[in-house]
Amino acid sequence: MRAKWLWMLAIAAVMAGCGQGHAIFIVDVYSFIKGTGADSIPYFVPPGSDSASSTPQLINLPGAGSSFVDSVTVNGKVNLENQSGTGTIGLQLFLAADSAGTFAPSALALTVPDSAVSGTQATPDTIIGRFNAGVIQLLAGSKVWFRLQAKGTNPGVSLLQGNAVMKSLQLTVVIADQLF
Amino acid sequence: MRKCFGLATLVIAWATSAAAQGALTDARRAGMAGLSLGREGGLERYNPAYRAVPARVTQRGQPKLTIPIPLGIIQFLHDHPDLSNDPAFDPKSTGFNPILVANTILNLPLYLEVKQAPTPTNDVVVVVGKDQLIVNLGAAAELVPEDQFGISGSSRPLDPGFGFKGFRIGVMGWLHDDVQLQLGDKLLGFLRDSQPADTNTRYNVLVHGLVEAGFAPTVSYAGRIAGDSAGGLYIGGALHYYLGVGYARTDGDAGFITGDSIFTGPNPVTPDGRTFTQYSSPGNTLGHGFGGDIGFAWVSGPIEVGVGVNDIGATITWPDTRQDSAFYHDSSFSKPFNNHVETKTKLPVSYIANVAYSVGNTTLGVDLLNTGGGSVVHLGGEQRIGLVALRGGVARDQRKRIEFGWGGGLRFGPVGLDVGFWTHTNSLSNERGITMATSLSIY
Repeated sequence: MRAKWLWMLAIAAVMAGCGQGHAIFIVDVYSFIKGTGADSIPYFVPPGSDSASSTPQLINLPGAGSSFVDSVTVNGKVNLENQSGTGTIGLQLFLAADSAGTFAPSALALTVPDSAVSGTQATPDTIIGRFNAGVIQLLAGSKVWFRLQAKGTNPGVSLLQGNAVMKSLQLTVVIADQLF
Repeated sequence: MRKCFGLATLVIAWATSAAAQGALTDARRAGMAGLSLGREGGLERYNPAYRAVPARVTQRGQPKLTIPIPLGIIQFLHDHPDLSNDPAFDPKSTGFNPILVANTILNLPLYLEVKQAPTPTNDVVVVVGKDQLIVNLGAAAELVPEDQFGISGSSRPLDPGFGFKGFRIGVMGWLHDDVQLQLGDKLLGFLRDSQPADTNTRYNVLVHGLVEAGFAPTVSYAGRIAGDSAGGLYIGGALHYYLGVGYARTDGDAGFITGDSIFTGPNPVTPDGRTFTQYSSPGNTLGHGFGGDIGFAWVSGPIEVGVGVNDIGATITWPDTRQDSAFYHDSSFSKPFNNHVETKTKLPVSYIANVAYSVGNTTLGVDLLNTGGGSVVHLGGEQRIGLVALRGGVARDQRKRIEFGWGGGLRFGPVGLDVGFWTHTNSLSNERGITMATSLSIY
């Protein structure tokens, strides 16, 4: 915790005299999940519909005190590495203040539209969008939990299975810069 | 009513104290961008010769008393009608704004802001990753000082005494404060040049702080050594025996050391600091030292020139000083280093130079004042037309910014009402705001 305070002290001391404007935090979420296993979300969709999700993951942030978060946009890349079956796979991103909270429907921050997958092809997809207003204030805190969930449809008769492998994920958090 | 009384007391107390230091409580001075054409302001304070110089016969009388009319406080109370419950002033509130509180205390809203200096817009970008932190302060990065910066100054809050035939014996109070900071190279690069924060690296600030205060029995002389009452050469000098009641000084190096990772791990940042503190508390043996002021003023017809220098050679010896060293790294400890040892401090030399020219109903003047924290220059004038006075001026402040003043006044017998406008700027913009000062003068 003190780490954030020290960083923020150094930044805030200067920002206090910077005039009116926005603090724009670019958070490289991918750097926090790369190599942890959380960057690969297995999906397993029987004929019908089902989904699979990654383990909730903690992101440390500098913290922005009582500042108001104007908006959060996200962009990233994901490879849908299909192993079998044909259908569509999309992603959902959840944000919460604690690990368990990421499973609540209200924690839904972004839904990435489905992309078609089939066979053993790897389908690159782009994650781009704006977070739901109900969760963005969490980004002003010093830590946030997030969870990625793959969600798909399987109109076929065989199992749809594979991994959604993250290649990059970056948040742009725009904050009214009242850091105290 | 009690609130109003308190407010009035606050205004008068602040105005009296500020005026004693040459601060702006007078709309006439505001109208000349801070220039003082009379004997008020800094002339007598910083030039001991001026105690003997009579008011210019060519200049219409100076007021015995100037009372600021605090229209700015009305504006402030209008903007903050319920101050006790205002979140910005409540430390327990999430809306607490210490910058606003500090600014309000340091710059009492005495006068009316008729035009707010536009607040510059400046976006700051912070890039955060598991092992990455980059800060881009935008245009504000230019404000990150590469060299040492801080505030310092010396003042004489009180100077009671009595005199005869040019001599004066008194006891003045003195106060000296000096706070200086300097960013270490790594922190400077991080804030000013947007260099990424590095792992296992120390980011630090060098800190110097000093405050000392006391009183000084003083013998001074001011008199005319040549010429007559219409013009001549005046000299003045004062010898002070400084007695220090207390002082504290700290010189330190404070910062933090990053760990193997910027934002992860159990202990990514470790505070790290050390300081050497020296102090002599009130009640210890008094500090002592000699110093002096000198000055001269030359008056010839419509021209008046003066130079004054204060606290020459003012080194204070503190015979009973305690010295401690303190260190912090994960946990703190303080280690007494020396006690009852002799240390020395030095008061900064202050100086003023002024020129005034009066002809007919016109008075022009310029002054330069340095109290140890940088020079301030004022240039301005006043034109009287019957009951009306018109004023204008230009100033260069300690940040080397140019500001302008203009205004006017009306005098009805023993009472005068003056209005002055003075521009001001903030750090990131050249666009000026305008303050309107109003004051009542009793002649």
